[in-house]
Formats: sequence, C-alpha cells, structure tokens
Amino acid sequence: MEPSANPTSSGPENEWPTLLCDNSRSGGQGAVSVPRPTRVRWQIRMGKSIRSAPVLRNGILYVTSLGGNLHAIDVKRGRQIWQFRAADQIHSTPSLYGNNVLFGCDAGKVYSVDGNSGKLLWETIAADEVWSSPVVHGGAVYFGSADGNIYAVHADGGKPRWVRELGGRIYSTPFVAEQQIYVGCGDGKIYSLESSTGKILWGTETGNGIDSSPAVIENTVVVGSEDFFVYALDTNSGKIRWKYETGLGISSSPALAGDIAVIGSKNGSLYALSISSGELRWKAQAGDVITSSPVISGGVVCIQSGETQAFDLASGRLIWEARLGGAVQAVPVLTKDVIYLAGNDGEVYALE
Amino acid sequence: MDRRTFLQATCLGSASLLLDGIVPISNCDVLSPAAPLIHVQGIADYKPSPLGMPGLFPGRVVELFEPTSIVHNRVSQLVVKRMLEQGMQELTGEKSAKAAWARFVEPNDVVGIKINPSGAPACCSSPEILREIIAGVQGAGVPARNIVVYDRYSYEIDIGSYQTLLPAGVRIVGIQEGFADHSGYDDRVYCQANFFGEWETRSYMASLVSRELTKIINVPTMKDHSASGVTGCLKNLGYGAFNNVARSHQAPFSFTSPLIGVMCSVEPLRSKAVLHIMDGMRQVWHGGPLTQLPGFIFQAGTLLIGTDPVAIDSIELRSIEKKREKEGAPSVWEHDPKSITSDGSEFLHNSSKNLFYRQPGHIVAAGKLGLGMADKKQIDHRVISAS
Repeated sequence: MEPSANPTSSGPENEWPTLLCDNSRSGGQGAVSVPRPTRVRWQIRMGKSIRSAPVLRNGILYVTSLGGNLHAIDVKRGRQIWQFRAADQIHSTPSLYGNNVLFGCDAGKVYSVDGNSGKLLWETIAADEVWSSPVVHGGAVYFGSADGNIYAVHADGGKPRWVRELGGRIYSTPFVAEQQIYVGCGDGKIYSLESSTGKILWGTETGNGIDSSPAVIENTVVVGSEDFFVYALDTNSGKIRWKYETGLGISSSPALAGDIAVIGSKNGSLYALSISSGELRWKAQAGDVITSSPVISGGVVCIQSGETQAFDLASGRLIWEARLGGAVQAVPVLTKDVIYLAGNDGEVYALE
Repeated sequence: MDRRTFLQATCLGSASLLLDGIVPISNCDVLSPAAPLIHVQGIADYKPSPLGMPGLFPGRVVELFEPTSIVHNRVSQLVVKRMLEQGMQELTGEKSAKAAWARFVEPNDVVGIKINPSGAPACCSSPEILREIIAGVQGAGVPARNIVVYDRYSYEIDIGSYQTLLPAGVRIVGIQEGFADHSGYDDRVYCQANFFGEWETRSYMASLVSRELTKIINVPTMKDHSASGVTGCLKNLGYGAFNNVARSHQAPFSFTSPLIGVMCSVEPLRSKAVLHIMDGMRQVWHGGPLTQLPGFIFQAGTLLIGTDPVAIDSIELRSIEKKREKEGAPSVWEHDPKSITSDGSEFLHNSSKNLFYRQPGHIVAAGKLGLGMADKKQIDHRVISAS
C-alpha cells in the first residue's frame, strides 16, 4: 500500500492509524456511533503489560507491549500474525504511515516496520527512551525523547532532518500542523516549533511538567498540565486564552469535537470544556484516577480508566460501562462493530 | 499475652542475631498469632558502612515546617528548595548545602532515590522535593546517569508522572511490572518466613539495591498504614526493596512488626541507606497507604530529615497520632475488635474502622535491631521554621 497524500488522516471507519485516531487528534469523532458491547469477541494475551494504545488498519491491530514486542493481530480471528522484537520495553503507541508501523522504545530507538511482514525497514536512535508516539506529516516523522530533544527524521529511511533541545523530558506526543508543531515538555512549557527547521517559535509556561499530548482545532491549542489546569492557547502567539482548574494533575490528552474538549484528570473526573470560552459543560466521575485519554465518536465519549465507560457528549450522562479484569488505562480503538482495548495486564480485547 | 518474636539471621552485618520479646503497646489488645521465625540471608562477607543506618547522626531529626510550601495542594519548588538546604545544613552542621550533601555521596557513587508512589496521585513523594534532592546529589559531583529514582512498581511511578517531571538524564526505574514479575530480584538475598501458610515463603531483595546502587536516599511520605500503623522511612525502605511482602499481613493480623525492621537490617540495604528525607507536604491520617480521599490528606507542609529512620518514624508516628486525635479518630494502637472491619469501603470512609490490628510497634522493633533510636528522650528533635 502506497502512502497517501495525507497518510495519517482519518480514513475509512474501521481504520485508526495513530494515537487518538488521526493526526487531527480527534479521538475518532465522526458519525460512527459507539456500540454498547455485550460480549467479548476475542481476547488475546501478549505476555507482558501494555501501556500504549492499539492502532488499526486493513484488519490488522498493532499493539506494543512492555515485553519489547510489536504485535500484529488479525482482528477477524483474534490471532497474532507476527511480532517484531525491539531493543527494550515499549511504551510508545505505534502510528501507521502507508505500510509502515512506527514506534519508539525505552532504549531510545525508533523503528519503522513493514506492516504486513513485520520486517524492519529502518531505525533511528535518540539518547534516551522514546515513549511518545511518532507523528508523520509531510514526509517527516516527529517524536520526542526523555533526552529532552524533539527529533524530525525522513519518513522514508529515517535519516535525520533536525533535532531541537527543549528544557526537559518529553513524553508528550507532538501535534503536527502544516507549518508548526506543538508539544508539551517536562519543564512545564508547551512549545511551538517550526516544522521545517525545528526553530522554537514560542514557549508558554505552565505551573508544572506536561505529560499530556496537545490537540489543535482552528487556532487553539488545548493541553493539560501536571499543575492541575487545562490550557487553551493561541496557536500563533502561545498566549493563554483560558485555563481551567481540575482537582489534580493531568496526564490525559484532550479529545476535541466541535467546540468541546474532553479531558481526564488524575482526580478521576472527566471534564468537558467549551474550547472557545473555557466554560465547564459537564463533569463526570469516571474512576479513582484517570491517566488515559478519552475518545469521541458519534456523540459518545469513551474512556478507559479501570473500566471502560461511555458518556453522552452533550450531557455527560453515563450511557454504558464494561468491566474487564485487570487495570485498563489506555485509549480504546472504536470501530463500527467492535471496540479494541489493551490493558496493563497484557490482555487485548475485542468487544462487540 | 505471650508474644515472642525470634529472628534467625545469617548475614545481618553488625545487627542483632536474635530479636526477642517485642511487646506491642496497644489498647484492648487481642491475642494475635505469634510471629514465626524469620530466616535472613544477606550478602556474605559484606563490609558494613559507617554511613549505614542509623548513620552519621543517630537520633537526630530535623523538622522543618513552612505553610507556604504547599498551597492549594501544590508544592512550591522555591520554598522546598530553601527548606531542604536549611535542613541539610542543620542536620550536618555544614555551612553550605553543597558541603552537607558531600557528607553522604561522592562523585563515583550510584545513588538510588527510593520514592513512595503508592498513594499516587493524591499522596506520593513530591517531584518538587525530588528535583531538589537530585540537584543536591548532582552538586556533590554525581552525574545524572548515576542517579536512579526507583520503586518496586512501575505502574505506580507512571501514575505519578515522575518520568516527565524529573530532570533529563536521571534514570527512573520500576523494579517490577506486576505482582508476578520476579525478574528484578536477587536470589542471594532474602528473608524467609511462613506467616499464614503461604506457598512462597521468601522475599527477595531487588538486584538494583543489592548489586547496582552504592548509596540510597530514602524519600518516604507521611502516612498512616492500615497494617503497620504508619508507613515511613522503615517501611518505604524495607518493603520497597524486597518482593512478596503483602503476605506479611492477612486481615485482621499483621506481621509487619517485626518484618519491616528485619528487612531494613539486611545487608547491603542497611549500609547503603545513608539519608532519609520524609516528605510531609501531605500527611495521610487515615486510609493509608492508598487513599485518594482529600478529607484524610492534610496539607502539613513539613519535611523530616535525618540518618536515623527509627527516630524519624517515631516523630512521624506522634504527628499522625496527634492529627488523628484532633480529628476524633482512634489511635493507630487501637486493638479493639470492634474497630475491625472486613469492608474495604467502610475502612476507606470511616476513620474509626480498620482492616488490621495495626502494628506501629515495628518502629521500636527496628530500634532493637540497632537501626536507630525510638526513645523520645534519646531523640535530638530539632524543629526549625524555614526562613
């Protein structure tokens, strides 16, 4: 399969090529309504804990695990097709670019693996672990590392384009727009960099480190900080438009739909905020602690925080919940018929 | 009640070889089962360090209180920096913080910083304090790559977001991924006892602790604990170095005393733990160690610093007792059967209920093993206000 012009944009309804579905960080928003699951279609154990989110393309679910493997699972049969062994544990959510599966590992390596065969296509290396998900845009792959650098490499071959040092560790996955990229950093700043050169355009300080991955809609960047606040910033200047205080730190990433940003806080609450005004639309208790990110589809917000819950986007009313064994703090993949989940216990579930 | 505890040891370094007659002080005590024999296997021929517990300043505890160190549940980086510098100088008598840190670590050390993330996110070792400790250790010449922030469970570290919040270059290590992961433990060093008929009777020391680290700075939080009474320096260190420790308490009974102190006395853990900095920014006075309920988490704005874990934990215990009394909760020494519940939710929400007969006597027991001073008269408690 050849890379398309916009390879990681939201595709057919049963594709989910990146963290939070696509490069617009929409979290799956669209007309597809999230089904209330009634049974487990299949369940497969990956051996070690899973701290990342699955991605999906062409009937193959790609899952990374702390066992250091990228697993390719045939979603029809619920069977592993192949696995690729990385140099170390993997916390990075894979992303799909054409037929390439891209992900980082704790040894600092970023791999591009053939999505059909599991063969290594190329690899590059940072000086410390890569937990963020590589983002592909305009023929470049962008990723952050705990070494404090943002890297841009060529999507075909992995040759370096540029490296930019920021002020702290980077676990936030960059949001890449046409000219700018946006990323949170352990030094407490949200940065905007020029995507072609890595030049820092602005850096806006929050009160603590940023784990959350930003999302952008029109000219607003939305991101959470460990200082307990959700921030909305101007994409061009970095000026804070509003900030909203939650009860504890935020490592969840926002999902955006229309004028609503939905994000979880470590106090266990899910917040729906107006992107334009910062006003609270609703708040719902979704567990003791939320570290994962919500996804939105068909007017429904889905979150995995111990159990999987679905809330009505407009009102915050709980629509359904699914209780699975083990702790599940990851981002589900939503399709027309099936929800795919991965958990800390190393299990991958297909619910229908 | 005839409660006699025996300790059989083969490699405790200079510690006692036999611990006899630890008598819990309790209200309405119940007949608890007798503690079993604990067999300890340390590293043979390990040469104890003079910096090992109770360390350079036995009995000395520096307590710093500053109300502006935590405001609206946020810890102030600037204020804790000042508190820590002041406390380190007071502890050591050195004129600069740099000189104070140099009393404990050298440039060629591999320094472990043992955090307590188990109550994350509501109450865990504050990243702000850890940043200042890391800066102090680096100031003494230790490169970032030789500083290891660690705990047993990686998923708890993740919830605390320590990876993001600590300086680049420092290693952040979760020793195990889940309850069944034993790969990070050293089969040469263990404590063995059969408490409740469990099939696995050994607890092994983490290889990181036994083999890699040369010094440990212990950063516990200030919390009550449903089984051990409080969790402080001793429990954070001992139960954070050995695996398979939950077996020591089976409701309503607990053998955390004497196991906590016994584990801390095993070489090389005892020698490597050179400094204890208790994070009392938040104080859990009920529901510990895991509560997330703000009503039981007091923003105390306190640091306790010393080399003697027994003395620090004794101060902590008094502080938590005082807070519980003020809140109308029974003492952690309470052993009235009516205080026991098997309902986890009732325990979490009702401060007069508990799951276990708590065993705060583990602190005195650790003192009897030579790890420090529990007697109030022997503790040099220096309370200073951060300026």
